[in-house]
Parts: sequence; C-alpha cells; structure tokens
Amino acid sequence: MRYFAQRFLQLVVVFLIVTFVTMVAIQAASKDPARDLAGPLNSTEARVEEIRKHYHLDRAYPIRYAYWLKNLVTVDLGNSPTLGASVRTLVGQRAPITLLLGLYSIVLALAISLPVAVYAAYRRDGPFDRFISGATFAAVSLPNIILAVLLGYFFATRWRIFPYAASKIWPWDNPGEHFKNVALPTVTLAVGLVAIFVRLLRSDLVNTLQSDFIVMARAKGLSPARILWRHALRSSLFSLMTSVALQFGGILGGAVVAEQIFALPGMGLLLFQAVQQKDLLVVQACAALFALAVVIINFAVDMLYAVVDPRIRHARALG
Amino acid sequence: MTAPINRPQEGTLLELRNLRTHFSTARGVVRAVDGVSFTLDRGKSLGIVGESGSGKTILARSIMGLLPKRGTIRHGEVLYAGQDLASLGLKGMRKFWGQEMSMIFQDPMTSLNPLMRIGHQISEPLRVHLDMDKVNARATALKLLQDVGIPEPEKRLDQYPHELSGGMRQRAMIAIALACGPTLLFADEPTTALDVTVQAQILDLIQDQRRDRNMSVILVTHDLGVVAGHTDEIAVMYAGTLAEKASTTELFANRKHPYTEALLRSIPRLDQPSHTRLLAIGGRPPDLITPPTGCRFAPRCPYAEDKCRAEIPELEAASADHSFACWHPVGSPRWQSKQDELVSTGVLSASGGIA
Repeated sequence: MRYFAQRFLQLVVVFLIVTFVTMVAIQAASKDPARDLAGPLNSTEARVEEIRKHYHLDRAYPIRYAYWLKNLVTVDLGNSPTLGASVRTLVGQRAPITLLLGLYSIVLALAISLPVAVYAAYRRDGPFDRFISGATFAAVSLPNIILAVLLGYFFATRWRIFPYAASKIWPWDNPGEHFKNVALPTVTLAVGLVAIFVRLLRSDLVNTLQSDFIVMARAKGLSPARILWRHALRSSLFSLMTSVALQFGGILGGAVVAEQIFALPGMGLLLFQAVQQKDLLVVQACAALFALAVVIINFAVDMLYAVVDPRIRHARALG
Repeated sequence: MTAPINRPQEGTLLELRNLRTHFSTARGVVRAVDGVSFTLDRGKSLGIVGESGSGKTILARSIMGLLPKRGTIRHGEVLYAGQDLASLGLKGMRKFWGQEMSMIFQDPMTSLNPLMRIGHQISEPLRVHLDMDKVNARATALKLLQDVGIPEPEKRLDQYPHELSGGMRQRAMIAIALACGPTLLFADEPTTALDVTVQAQILDLIQDQRRDRNMSVILVTHDLGVVAGHTDEIAVMYAGTLAEKASTTELFANRKHPYTEALLRSIPRLDQPSHTRLLAIGGRPPDLITPPTGCRFAPRCPYAEDKCRAEIPELEAASADHSFACWHPVGSPRWQSKQDELVSTGVLSASGGIA
C-alpha cells in the first residue's frame, strides 16, 4: 500500500511538470498569447485586453499555471476562437477515438507478437526465427508515415477493402463500421509495435528458457506448450510490460500522423490543427490529456508488475 | 501411493553400455562423457563421484535424456528395464520424465519456478501424468509435503519459493520429484547449495524415501563424504570415464584406483591427528577436447609409466562388486615401490600414508 501511494504521488508530480513545461513552451513561442487567443477575426484591442485579464496572461507563469490548473479541475478550459466551440467539447468529442486507437493498436500488437515471439524463441535460430528477426528489423526501420500511405494505397484505393477517409463512428453505435474505419490507422500504429514487442519478448524468452527451472519443468515431463506458456512466458513479460508503458506516449504521437493521413477526426487531428492556428488552449488541453493517459498507463503497468511477480508483491508488503 | 501395481521389486533396472556424450563447440568436440558402462539394480543407490568437470552431471542428464539438443552427440545404449531409451523419442521420454525417472537439482532457488505457488508446482505433474483433478492433486501434494517433512505443509502449498528457507525449498523439490512415484531418482548435488546442518537431513530424507518406495537412486556429488553413508555403491568418475566402481564399504576399505586413493587422501579424517596435512592432487583435470591418449589420470598419477600414457586401461571387474580401470592399481608392485619412495622422501608418513 505504501508503494502504491508512493508511485501514485510520483506520477502526479510527473503530470504537473509535463503540463507546466508544455504551457510555458507553448505560450513562450507566441508573440502575444492573448492576441492568439482572441482569434484572428474579432481581435479588437479591448477584446485582447479582456482575454489577457481573463486568462491572467499578464501574470508570471507559475500563477498562470495555477489558474489553468484550477480550470482543469473544474473542467472549464475556455473556448477555442478558431473552432468556435469550448475546449471541453472539442476534446470530449475527439479524445475517445484516439484513446481507442491507441488501445486497439496495443491489443493487436500483443495478440500478434506473443505467439510469434514464443514460437521464435522455442525454435531459436531456426528458419522462422531468422525470418522474424529480419522482418521485425525491417518493420522497425519503416517510418509509420510511409506505412500509412502504403496501406492506404493498397487497402483503400486499390482493393477498396477499407475506407481511405475514415469517419468517426462509435463502436456502441455500429461496431462493424467502427472497426472498418479504424482498421488502417490501427494497423499503421501496430506494425512498429509488433516489431518492438517481438524482439523484446523473444530475447527475454530465450534467456528464460535457459534457466534451471525450465530444465526442471522438462524433467517433470511437461509438454513444450505448457513449459512455454505457463512457465517461461510469465517470467519473460517484464521488459514487454515496461515497453508497453513507454511506447504509449509514442503511440499517441503516431496517432497524430495516422489520423492526419486517414482524416480520422481524433485528438491527433485536433492537435495538429490547433498548433497550426495557434489555438493555445486546445494545444495545452491536448498535451495535458496525453500526459494524463501516459501517466495512467505507467501506473497501471507498475501495479501489474506486482500481480505477475509475487516477489515484488511481498517486498512491497514488507517495505 | 501412485506407484504402478506390477512393478518388479528386484533385478536390473538400468544398464549403460558404452555411453558417450559429446558436444560440438567452436573449439572442437568436448568429450564430456566418453564410454561409460554400468548397471544399477532396482531399489539400490549409486553415488557418482568426481570433481567438477568430470562429466558426472552430464552423465546423469544423458541417462535421463535431458540435454540440450543443439550440438549434442550421444552414442551407446541406455537400457531402462530392458528398453533402449533412444528408441522412445522425445514424446516417449516425456512420459518417462516425472513418472519413471525424475531429478532433484542442485539449487532449489533457481530450479523452482519463482512465480508459481509450491502447491501448483507439485500438483502439475500429478495432473499431467496421472490425470488427477484439482482437489485430488492438491490433497496428494499436501501428503507429499508431509512425507518430505516440511513444517506447516498446508500453509506451504500456497506459498512461493522465495517464502521458504533453503532446506524447505529442497524438500519441496524432492516432493515434486517424488510426486508421480518414480522408479529411478536422480539427485544432482542435492545438498551443495544448502547449509551443512541441513545437508544430512536432506540426504537422510532421500534414503528414507528410497527405502519406502523401493526406488533406485543415483546421487551425483563431488563430495565422497556425502555418498559414504548414503549409497550402496560408488562410481568414481574422472575426465568423462569411470575410474573405479565398487560397493561403498569395499571402495573405502579396498580402493584400487590411484585417483580414488588421491581423493580419499584429500579429505580430512577423524582418526588422523588434527593439523595433519592434506594431500592435494597436483595438476588439473585434462582438457576434454584433446584428452590424454592413454589413461586419463596418467598426467597427474604418481605411479604412471609409459604404458599408462599410451594404452587406455579398461574398466575390469576384480571381484563381483569391484571394478577399476588401472594398469598399476593400489597394492601392485609398481604402486608399492613408488609408495616406498614417497615415504622415504617424506611426502607420505610411514604409517601407510596421509590417508
């Protein structure tokens, strides 16, 4: 329990630092944040001054940040002058699709990489293992923007299996259409992940398979499948779990690219537009949400370590 | 409890015929086990003794067929109850492992799965081999933990290896090895990783279980003291071959091979005055990629002559329960004359040597 609280506190601090730094970076990059926030059209001097007062843009950064935090807690993050809607509405509409996209790509990547890595490690240095080693290397080196274009060309333009311009359809409204629309962006994000996950898990498994308790498991007369899935896999999950947590930030970054190419109206697209139009409040809100998602995933993985390994659980219970 | 009903109680259980296990490595072929033959009767225990690198662990694993496949070349025959184990294939061996033969490993800390409850690890072979349901397997696991003398067995079922002491872990490993009632139990240095005070308990436990279950036991160790009180027979291994094999009492009373003699001289004895110097064996065991052409012990043997360095002595039976591989065994004329020389130069004491 103490460990739990400790980790939680750490992540709160991380969240605060990330959002503060983003705010300073975004606002410092603008010549006059108040003028940007007033929007390009109705920017009378009076309006600009009014906005400056309202968002406390005449105060020092820490104070501005304190007000921003207060607004964050009350989920009243102001309005977007360019998109003509409140930041809360915009993010609320866009965030779920991006988070789903991230989740799908991780689930898909894990579903593919687990059996592939297990078989490659089991038949180490065999033809399959060699092929996978080459294929994953190629996949890691392939920028996801190229991959997205290729996928789009073949699966959308040429074979017309999936729509090129994805529309936002919620899974609870029409699951079939929903998955059809997110398929290409999901695959775009998953390919790189599969490559990383397979390489990590395979090398950990190869190590685990050389441990004494695997020889012991063989001496008990267990089948290779049982040894691999019940004994070896669990001990080999730690780097993979860490990687999932670390990659999550990157996935959200990749989502910006994927949503851009497939015109999927998610957070990535919103963030992209907001940056272009100096919509500072939207950028800040997006960054805050990304940071929050990454922090939560990391916390979840930390807790998962303890579930997988009783030694961590017990060490924590004692500490 | 779970032993097959029609198991014969006597006769030969295991016969090795010229077993060779070689590994191909980047440096060349390592002849880890190089022509070992012996037989083991049902219900008997055999100690395989040798220094590290002598091939004793590889020998045990070769018999069981538990070697990594890559680079391993195995020749010769292992007959188990008259059946050649090589003909079984991997699938057939899997049925043997755990049920017919099982193994206790050296380090229970690394040989038990750290992420699995003790009870689960014991009941796993029961469920796989004997098709027990969960409840039955758990009850049997509890019974096994009681058999191996673990305190509070009920509680241990749900604990993980790191929550147990070293001795308890080794007892748990013995429980796993005994689970399906094997006919042949291998114990590979079962006490090396344990405190001295626990070692004797574990060895006694293995012997008690052997008697209760009429198992055969092969005890692999570098420590002659370990096998002395705990096995019927002893095979002394040197550089991949057997140097000498005899019943335990015969070997200690009437050792023939100079290597055995040297081993016995290197351990302290209670009937010698304290601070008596122990005799180390000079030199090192030979390189198993290019072993000596003749007797493998010749380069370190005080009695060796040209014949020893040129011709390999075969393991020959001197009596019903004693065989050795040496041209000039303990008690032979050459041994005697060399012995006198050593005494006169003060290396050995006149009272029959340091041993």
